[in-house]
Amino acid sequence: MTVSAMSCAQVRELAPELALGILSGAERAEVVLHVNGCARCQAYVAELTEAADAIPQLAPEAEPPVGFEARVLQRLDAGERRTRRRWIAAVAAVAAAAMIVSITVVRVIESNDSTSARQEATPITPAPKPVAVPMQLTAAPLPAGWAYVSDGHGVAVSVSYGMESGGYTVQVKSPSGRAENIGTMTVSDNHGSWTGRSSRPIRAGSTISLVDATGAAVCHGTVPTAL
Amino acid sequence: MWTVSDETLVAGLASGDRDAASAFVQRFERRVYGLARTIVYDDRAAEDIAQEAFVRAWKHSSAYDPRRGSVVGWLLTITRNLAIDAVRVRRPVVIDPASLLGYDAASTDRSPGDHAELSEDSDRLRAALAQLPEEQSRAVVLAGLLGYTAREVGEIEDIPLGTAKTRIRTALLRLRAALVSEEQE
Repeated sequence: MTVSAMSCAQVRELAPELALGILSGAERAEVVLHVNGCARCQAYVAELTEAADAIPQLAPEAEPPVGFEARVLQRLDAGERRTRRRWIAAVAAVAAAAMIVSITVVRVIESNDSTSARQEATPITPAPKPVAVPMQLTAAPLPAGWAYVSDGHGVAVSVSYGMESGGYTVQVKSPSGRAENIGTMTVSDNHGSWTGRSSRPIRAGSTISLVDATGAAVCHGTVPTAL
Repeated sequence: MWTVSDETLVAGLASGDRDAASAFVQRFERRVYGLARTIVYDDRAAEDIAQEAFVRAWKHSSAYDPRRGSVVGWLLTITRNLAIDAVRVRRPVVIDPASLLGYDAASTDRSPGDHAELSEDSDRLRAALAQLPEEQSRAVVLAGLLGYTAREVGEIEDIPLGTAKTRIRTALLRLRAALVSEEQE
C-alpha cells in the first residue's frame, strides 16, 4: 500500500475543489488516497461536500418536455426486469434510511434463505422477495411510511410522517383477525423504524399496524395480494 | 396525494414500487431537467441527461444515505455530474453566474407549501452567496454549478490560476460557515 505523499495541509488546500468535483486526474487521485486514510481530512471533505452539493440547487427549475415522466418510468421498468435482486436491496435501503446497523438486515436476509429452503413453510409464503406495504394513518387517508415484508416473516417498518413521538407496538393481524405483537418501535420527530420477524407467517390480507399506548392503531397497512 | 418525505420516496423507489417511482419523478423532474438545461444549454441533451439522472438515482437508491445529505442534493449532484461529463469536451456558451444568482425563486409556478424545505435550502444558499464578494460568488458558481475547473475559471475571469483557486476555496468555506451557522440558529 502506497502512503500518500500529500500532507494534511496540502490536502486541505485542494479539498474544496475535490468537494466541488472539479479536481482532475492525478491531483484527485492523490487527494482521495490521503483522505481515505485520514479521518480528520475525511470529515473536513465531507463538510465541504455538503455545502458544495447544495450549489446545484441554484439552477432554475424548468418544465420537461411532454411525456418525460412516462419515458423515465419506461426505462425503470426495463431495468427492473433485468435486476430482480433489487428487492433484497429494498430492505437494506429502509435500514440505511433508518440508520439501523446493517447487521440486522443481514440477519433478516439470511433467515430468508434458510426459511425458503425449508419445505414445511406454508405454500403461500416462501417467495423470497420483500413486498412493499404502504402504511397509512388511521386518522386521515395520508401516507405515514412503508413496511417491507420478506419471506413472509421478516418485517422492516419505516415511518416519516404524521406520527406523534413515543413508543409504538408493531402488530401483525392475520386475515382472520388474529393479532400478534412482534416488537416495539420509537418514533421521534415524525421518524421511526424497526426491523424484526413475525413468528407466524404474514400473508396477503394481513395487516401491519403501529399501536399506541392506548391500544389504538395509529397507522396501518394491508399486505397486497402478491406476496 | 403524496405527502411522504423525500427519504421515504427513495426507499419506495429502491423497492421497485411503481407509484413511489412515479411520485419521485413528478416531485423532482422540474429541478433535474432545469439543472441539466442550465449546464448543457440544449433541450434535447437536457432531456437525455435528466432521464439518465433518474435511472442512476433508481440504480443507486438502495445506497442513498440521508446522513450524507438531502435527497435533492444527492439527485442534483448526480444530474450535475452527468451534465458536466456531457459538456466537458465541447463547452457551450459561458453562462453569466449573475443571471443565476439573480434568479427569482418566487417566480416559478411551484404550488404553495410544496417542497417548502427544499426552496428554503436554496434560498439560504442564495442569501449566503449574496454575502460574498461578487468575484467569489461567481467563482464558486462557475465551479460548483457549471463544473468549470479552477484553470477554466481563471481563463473566464482573466485571473491567474492561484487567484482562481483562492476565490473558489474562500467562497466554499464561507458558504459552509454560513450554512452551518444558519442550522444552529
